[in-house]
Amino acid sequence: MSQRRVAITGLGLVSPYGGDLADFFRRLCAGESAVGYLLTDDLPRPLSIPFVTSPGFDPNVTLGKPLAGMMDRYAQFGMAAAFSAWDDAGLPRQSDGECRDDWGVAWGTALGGTMAYEHGYRELWQRGRERLSPLTVVLGMNNGANAQMSIQFGLGGVSMSHTVACASSAIAIGEAFRRVRSGEATVMLTGGSDVPQAYGVARAWEALRVMAPGDAETSANACRPFSADRRGLVLGEGGAALVLEDWDHALARGARIHGEIVGYGTTCDHSHLVRPEAEGQIRAIRLTLADAGLSVADIDYVNAHGTATAEGDPVEVAALKAVFGERAASLPVSATKSMHGHLLGGSAAIEAIVTVLALRDGVIPPTAHLGELDPACAGVEHVTTARHGPLRAALSNSFAFGGSNAVLAFRAVDL
Amino acid sequence: MESISLIRDFLKDRLGVEPENVVPGAMLAELGVDSLMMLELMFEFEDRFGVKLPRNLKAPRTVGEMVTLMDGLIAQSKS
Repeated sequence: MSQRRVAITGLGLVSPYGGDLADFFRRLCAGESAVGYLLTDDLPRPLSIPFVTSPGFDPNVTLGKPLAGMMDRYAQFGMAAAFSAWDDAGLPRQSDGECRDDWGVAWGTALGGTMAYEHGYRELWQRGRERLSPLTVVLGMNNGANAQMSIQFGLGGVSMSHTVACASSAIAIGEAFRRVRSGEATVMLTGGSDVPQAYGVARAWEALRVMAPGDAETSANACRPFSADRRGLVLGEGGAALVLEDWDHALARGARIHGEIVGYGTTCDHSHLVRPEAEGQIRAIRLTLADAGLSVADIDYVNAHGTATAEGDPVEVAALKAVFGERAASLPVSATKSMHGHLLGGSAAIEAIVTVLALRDGVIPPTAHLGELDPACAGVEHVTTARHGPLRAALSNSFAFGGSNAVLAFRAVDL
Repeated sequence: MESISLIRDFLKDRLGVEPENVVPGAMLAELGVDSLMMLELMFEFEDRFGVKLPRNLKAPRTVGEMVTLMDGLIAQSKS
């Protein structure tokens, strides 16, 4: 079966900096952290953590009240990002006559509508109410975001959600990519969103001892991937979306093509729920390169999973060294979670966008706050200030709790 | 009278509908009240006035029908 090329024609996100996509990438390349400090008024003990919020995001304004009211906050982020990507792709919100019956959505979310249920529990257990709003069901369901996207854009094909912890949107994007490549879908809207500040969720992450500490003064520098003094990850809320399109379809309508998605590989460590293993990651990277028809010599940048946990970072570097061999020492790598945080199910989507923009604009954004490198993370070329120059192809890694690994490969549009 | 102000508040809060458009002759569907929003409106009404709507209730089509229904139930619950 002949395979189609897959163009990336739309990019959109709710920027944690508050501006547009270009502003987001500019700040990222400048090494500017979007990490802030979150202090809530939760009972019995407030959350007090470094966190990435989108303070300028008002779903009632961006989406309109009737639509926003039918969605949990995770879906509001997703829908806002999707509108932005769709508009960026130059596609009309509703079909102007072209059949969209084979167009679909694959959306990633680790937590889905957790906030809706948490609100419900508060009503019942803290406020002594006996019943809950009937909308709780549609707000809480994990496919709420993709269902609304299918409705808003009139997409008649597959509409599915992927829940694979921190790799949720990598797998969503990969599965979407395969559907366009195989010819099953002409256009796939994909990406991911999450809202990890639900009280019960954030407390659970704290208990796992993987969250970096920080206060109002220190939070901006709290996430330091690969650094000798790293203390852990920083969670964030947000959403990011991509429009993947059959190459010929994109050309025929004169769409601007940001980049090409060329490979996807996914594996499972099948060994431990949270301890990552290089072997599973190595297989995922190799599968992706083979799927893309790329060799290690073709890769000019890797956007690392790089969460800044004690265990995760060295294992990822070990996997890259194993795959890239002699090339590893000169392989540019950066972990942008140091600035935009870990959006859980939205992470791989925002990092896919970063990787595509890096290829398109020929700029590698840095790993921020990387002072003294942990010797256990040495062996690749850590990019610590933005690097300019043409790039041919790049990978984006996502390695999840549960042992699921997913890697995406992108190529620059011929210069 | 209480019913119309509840409906106005609800539609303003949830759907951004201006109160002056919420008049007895207005069709609920045209104001943006679909079956899901109707359930939510009924829920809010039950909550506010401590009444219970019958399960086999015929859904009102206009604001006026909704007001009549609600006023009837409130009167019933008070008597």
